[in-house]
Amino acid sequence: MTDQDKVKIKNLPTGVPGLDEILGGGLPEFSFNVIAGAPGCGKTTMAHQFVFANATPEHPALYFTVLGEPALKMLRYQQQYTFFELSRLNTSVRFINLSQTLVDRGLEGILEEIGKAVEAVNPGIVVVDSFRTVMRQTDRNEMEMQVFVQQLGLLLTSCQATTFLIGEYAESEQPGNPVFTVADGLFWLYQVVEQNSIVRKLHIMKLRGQASVSGMHTFRITDTGMQAFSRTLGLAGRRRKLAAEKRLSIGIPALDEMLGGGIPEGDSLLIAGSSGTGKSLLATHFIAAGLRQGEPGIVAVFEERPEEYAARAESFGLDLNTPIEDGNLKVIYIRPLDLSVDEAMQEILDAIKKTGATRLVIDSLAGFEMALSPGFRSDFRESLYRMIFGLTGIGITVLSTLEMEESFTELLFSKFSISFLTDDIIRLRYVEIEGQLRKIMMVLKMRGGAHSKDIREYEITSKGVVVGERMQGYDHLITGIPTRAGRSGQSTYKRVRIKRGWMRR
Amino acid sequence: MEMRSRTAASPEIREFAKRLVIYEAAGDSPPGTDLPAEVRVAEKLRQPLSRLAGVSGFRALLVRALTLAKAQAPGLVSVKVNPDGSLEGLGESGNRAQDSETGVILIAELLGLLAAFVGGAFTFRLVLDVWPGFPVLDKEPWRKNDHDGPG
Repeated sequence: MTDQDKVKIKNLPTGVPGLDEILGGGLPEFSFNVIAGAPGCGKTTMAHQFVFANATPEHPALYFTVLGEPALKMLRYQQQYTFFELSRLNTSVRFINLSQTLVDRGLEGILEEIGKAVEAVNPGIVVVDSFRTVMRQTDRNEMEMQVFVQQLGLLLTSCQATTFLIGEYAESEQPGNPVFTVADGLFWLYQVVEQNSIVRKLHIMKLRGQASVSGMHTFRITDTGMQAFSRTLGLAGRRRKLAAEKRLSIGIPALDEMLGGGIPEGDSLLIAGSSGTGKSLLATHFIAAGLRQGEPGIVAVFEERPEEYAARAESFGLDLNTPIEDGNLKVIYIRPLDLSVDEAMQEILDAIKKTGATRLVIDSLAGFEMALSPGFRSDFRESLYRMIFGLTGIGITVLSTLEMEESFTELLFSKFSISFLTDDIIRLRYVEIEGQLRKIMMVLKMRGGAHSKDIREYEITSKGVVVGERMQGYDHLITGIPTRAGRSGQSTYKRVRIKRGWMRR
Repeated sequence: MEMRSRTAASPEIREFAKRLVIYEAAGDSPPGTDLPAEVRVAEKLRQPLSRLAGVSGFRALLVRALTLAKAQAPGLVSVKVNPDGSLEGLGESGNRAQDSETGVILIAELLGLLAAFVGGAFTFRLVLDVWPGFPVLDKEPWRKNDHDGPG
């Protein structure tokens, strides 16, 4: 059998932004699906979005309600969503309550009534909400339930309808449940409250006929309905092959030189340093340099608002307002406290698509972590890895900043231990020299090749970061308390203490 | 402090219900019956609403509407809602004018309640589905405010 002989399964749009991507292109037509989860996690909303995205007067959606949420209340609340079009009720979307049928005539009555309605209107979509109550209301044995579910599945599939059974199931009910056995698609929705934040996740446990993205995906419910965020961010398999090794200027020639000619395109660069060392300013240089070269950019800020960010850049002679107005630069302020990385990423990805950006600044990772719902902070490192891997994979050059606690005895890389996911690292730090607090920078890592081993002093001036020469004549610069080169290995601090008799030689 | 009897129906909805009963009265009665228009309206609303909300859901709505209507129209005291959601005793007082008036009050309360729960626009659509030829005015109460709550 050739590929041409095989039946082509049409994918229907789910109406849920991000979900088609997770499902591998949409929901297979004529599939028999179960949406399961605890009360209030969004099952009905998800089904309604599918209904309104696909129902037509010729092939309407039949929405059967059974002993669950009262139909009038469901309609009262669901119509608050923007996708809910009242004008399509009773033409494209028809609600039928079967509560009395179930009470009076049991499973046979339900099957008969659904059969009659299906025959009468030739629906394209059938929803039974809540199917769990149908199964609970009977004292049938497992075999009889299996037969009922199978008959229902056959009835609905043979009439060319895509079907959803909605139910409040517990995960412990999965093994051996006839509904889950018969279902082509099984969608499990979760809602967990963690430290005053609500975390919603979706798991495609089963989807026959096509490859869906595995794992747990975050979703959010707003007044527009449900929006899902694929854990691969829609970037899986999208590797952009870069034509040749191209180096991007960071906007400071001396630093480009230290980096071995600039940042390799598609790299992830981390700038780490303590407060006031100029991390954000270097990031602004990087974005501004790209804009000068005609490369659009995105700056994701978490600790200040876009206008403040642009104003600060302007004070260093870097004009961000013009490219913002021209649409070549977008400064995204990501609202704090209850985000998932995937949501933040979606916002960034949307901005990248809109502007065609090739440079991205995340300022800062600590701010990013703080913006997340507490439930997502534990996964921050893993999420960050997915995000950076995905973005650099499509050729975006990512510059992240990270605030470090200054240590005067050692050189820390990063408190997140994320150096493994960055290709290149620039470390900024303070040093105490002759009664002055001065700044030094060094390139710690360039995955793409050779880089300068110099430790160079720099200053923050009204023109931005100005990199000086290699700092010569000192040892132990990276400890923050250097000594004059050639002297003993004792630190200034140690020598002073010895001199004052506070410690032995 | 002035006490006001609770009602789900604004004067506009009451007027709408009145027009609906008049419109139904102008049509033909089902063969073999001579039911008053207000009874026919209630019965015609029962079918789609029972389908939508379930028999018990519709019945609960109608019982509430009847309670609200009785406070305004004591003539409805003998009217009852059957288990299937049909009305018993409506339009049977022998006083046609009074029956019509109390019937309008009951239907207005039912529509007002429905509008309070699912919105005026949806209620209006339901009515038009049952009476597709019902003349729509520019200033229907449903269009003024989509979420007419109990007055």
